[in-house]
Amino acid sequence: MKTIIEEQDGKFVATLEGELDTVAALEVEKALEPLYENTGKDIVFECKKLEYIASSGLRILLTILKNAKANGSEVILRNVSDNIKDVFNLTGFVNIFHFE
Amino acid sequence: MKWHSSHSVKYNIGIVITVAILLEAISAVQYYYAHHLLNDELELRVLSELRFKAFALQQTLEQAELSLQEHLWYINEYLEEPDSMFVATQRLIHVNEKVVGGCLAFVPNYYPQKGRLFEPYAYEECDTIKVEQIGGKDGHDYTENPAFLRMMSVKRPFWSDPYKYESATGPLSLTTYSYPLLDKQGEIIAVCGIDVSLSWLGDTLNARHIHSSSFDLFLTGTGELIAGPSEDRVSQQRVQHLVALINDSTVRRESTNNERVKVINFYDEERHDEGFIYYASMKNAPQWQVALVCYEDEAFGKVKTMRLYVSLLMLAGFLLLLLVIRRTVNNVIHLQRANMEKERISGELRIAQNIQQQMLPKQFPPYPERDDIDIYGSLVPAREVGGDIFDFFLRDEKLFFCIGDVSGKGVPSAMVMAQTHSLFRMATSREHNPARIMQTINEVVCEGNDTNMFITLFIGILDLPTGRLRYCNAGHDHPILTGKDTTEIPAMANLPIGTFSDFRYEGQEQYLPAGTMIFLYTDGLTEAKNNQHKQFGLERVRKVVGENSLSTPKQLLKWMDDEVHRFTEGAEQSDDLTMLAIRYTPKEEVDWLNESITLTNDIHQVSLLNAFVKSVAQKLEIESVLARKLQLAVEEAVVNVMDYAYPVGKDGSVTITAKGNGKNIKLVIRDSGIPFDPTVTAKTDTTLSAEERPIGGLGILLVRELMDSINYERIDGKNVLTLTKRIKE
Repeated sequence: MKTIIEEQDGKFVATLEGELDTVAALEVEKALEPLYENTGKDIVFECKKLEYIASSGLRILLTILKNAKANGSEVILRNVSDNIKDVFNLTGFVNIFHFE
Repeated sequence: MKWHSSHSVKYNIGIVITVAILLEAISAVQYYYAHHLLNDELELRVLSELRFKAFALQQTLEQAELSLQEHLWYINEYLEEPDSMFVATQRLIHVNEKVVGGCLAFVPNYYPQKGRLFEPYAYEECDTIKVEQIGGKDGHDYTENPAFLRMMSVKRPFWSDPYKYESATGPLSLTTYSYPLLDKQGEIIAVCGIDVSLSWLGDTLNARHIHSSSFDLFLTGTGELIAGPSEDRVSQQRVQHLVALINDSTVRRESTNNERVKVINFYDEERHDEGFIYYASMKNAPQWQVALVCYEDEAFGKVKTMRLYVSLLMLAGFLLLLLVIRRTVNNVIHLQRANMEKERISGELRIAQNIQQQMLPKQFPPYPERDDIDIYGSLVPAREVGGDIFDFFLRDEKLFFCIGDVSGKGVPSAMVMAQTHSLFRMATSREHNPARIMQTINEVVCEGNDTNMFITLFIGILDLPTGRLRYCNAGHDHPILTGKDTTEIPAMANLPIGTFSDFRYEGQEQYLPAGTMIFLYTDGLTEAKNNQHKQFGLERVRKVVGENSLSTPKQLLKWMDDEVHRFTEGAEQSDDLTMLAIRYTPKEEVDWLNESITLTNDIHQVSLLNAFVKSVAQKLEIESVLARKLQLAVEEAVVNVMDYAYPVGKDGSVTITAKGNGKNIKLVIRDSGIPFDPTVTAKTDTTLSAEERPIGGLGILLVRELMDSINYERIDGKNVLTLTKRIKE
């Protein structure tokens, strides 16, 4: 599992690659720590190479979303594959996240 | 309702007026006809009386004439002897009692030896007959008598008009019949006269009358009064008035029944009453007139009284009728209201019936896609709504079912039944321990159970993969199991629901062999009565179930229903009748893949798990998208166990077994941790907004969504969670 955070055009862009399972979630949670203290910047998750996501991964995304919303910024999921989108569908997360 | 009453008032008034007019018309017609009939009757009676009286008078006169003529031979025989003429006159009055005097007035000088005038005269005095010669006596010259003179000229017999004569015994009313005595040359030699008393007319004829106030009058042909009632009965003045009326030709009319009879209507000022005079002339000489006077009040008084009585009777009847109409109208209105109310209640009952029927499972077979379970149920309420209940549903490879009977029948029972139904659904939503479910239902029902209604209830939960049946019985009839043998489920009685809120219900369990059928029923079946009040009984139920051990649930219920109907012979169903049959036929599939992996309760072991699942998926040739889903579901389930089954810091293990064939895959996750059933956690609401969404609860949600079934059992001190998925159609 690979996690990269960059700043582009005043937004955070986090690229997630590989399988975000329960074990991976432990690292990813740490890696994404900067996004927890959001200062009002929008966050984009680049999911082109994300192959798998477990509920622990979803929880991380939800926590970040809640913080972002509290600060008036947006969370955008970019290039989500059909398989991953399916999991978002099953959990109802399609309704609360913004997809590009 | 206001319209109703004003309408009925108008209707009533209409009826009253109509009936009043009708009654008055009947009374009038009746009076008219009665009067008419009585008038006819009166006239007939008057005519007959008139005839009778005229006849009596006529007869008296004719008899006098006859007795005179019978004595003529004696006079002629002894004509030569003047003294024999005294005997002749004496004989004249002797033979006829109404003849009071007789005389022979000879023409002057007929007997020279007797002088110019010779008139022997016989008369009655003090019951003796006296005879004397009165011609010339005291200057009596009969040749100047008008009757004598008249006879000399007409030479024919005639009657004199009546006259009064002062006799020694009192005044007499007399009439004289004069008869000529002729010689051989036809010359008159003497005038024979007999005096006939008419005093009897007034006495005897007045004595016989149709009405007490009626009386007769006798008049001459010229209208002079002959005889009438005595003055103490009718005053002279009144008699004179009546005589004047009879002589007045302008007031008379002819009788309708006899044209010879004349009628005069008059008003009697003395009596203040209408009166009638009927009168007629005698047929023969002297053609006197007989009149009969009668009065309206006596003739028609009874009709008037009758009319009064009839009117009073009708009035009473009319009032009675009014009362009856009033009552009837009120009754009709009451009846209408009662009917409307009944209609409303039965309408509401129909709706209630629909609502109740909709609570019950109504789609049979309920799970057409499954081949391991077949269910059929029926509920026939004795009234519109009933207090019986049955229900079942499938969740996580478990069949929840119940059957129950609320005490009593009808609406109150139905309400408790509806409550019980909701409670069953509510209590089973997070629980699959039947005793605890029963406990929950009992606590709620007991709370505020002022009416002391109670419910016998049997709750069963059948784990379909294993055939494990857990059940709790609250005083209900024991269900019957049939398969190889037919036995009753050895259920403990416990107490019915609704008795004591702190009662501890105990559950039981047993494993059902494949092919077993469970038959549940309410006492409406065993207590169905025939016309001899005999009950269908448990023996018959058991027999029918045993004979149909291989039938489908639907067939069994039909057979049972037929048997009950044959038994009751159409007797009225007295109690709700409910039956539920469940056949359990699990399919044993041969799994050629059977692999296990045991992990410690460390999250990092999930990588091993994922590798295990991937390899199993490969071996079963599961395509990648589905394989990802399986991986995710198993990972979530196992992580859940690792998170909750063991206390933090305590080591434990989780064993995952994968079984599969070309069609299905089954993943069984076992751990020895504390009892933990993930399937009863609240379902996550996926429609909430980001702010409202809780962080947890996602894992089990995903397991449910990704797998075909999820099933938890606590077996031998272990949590056993089974996930299944169909991999090929």
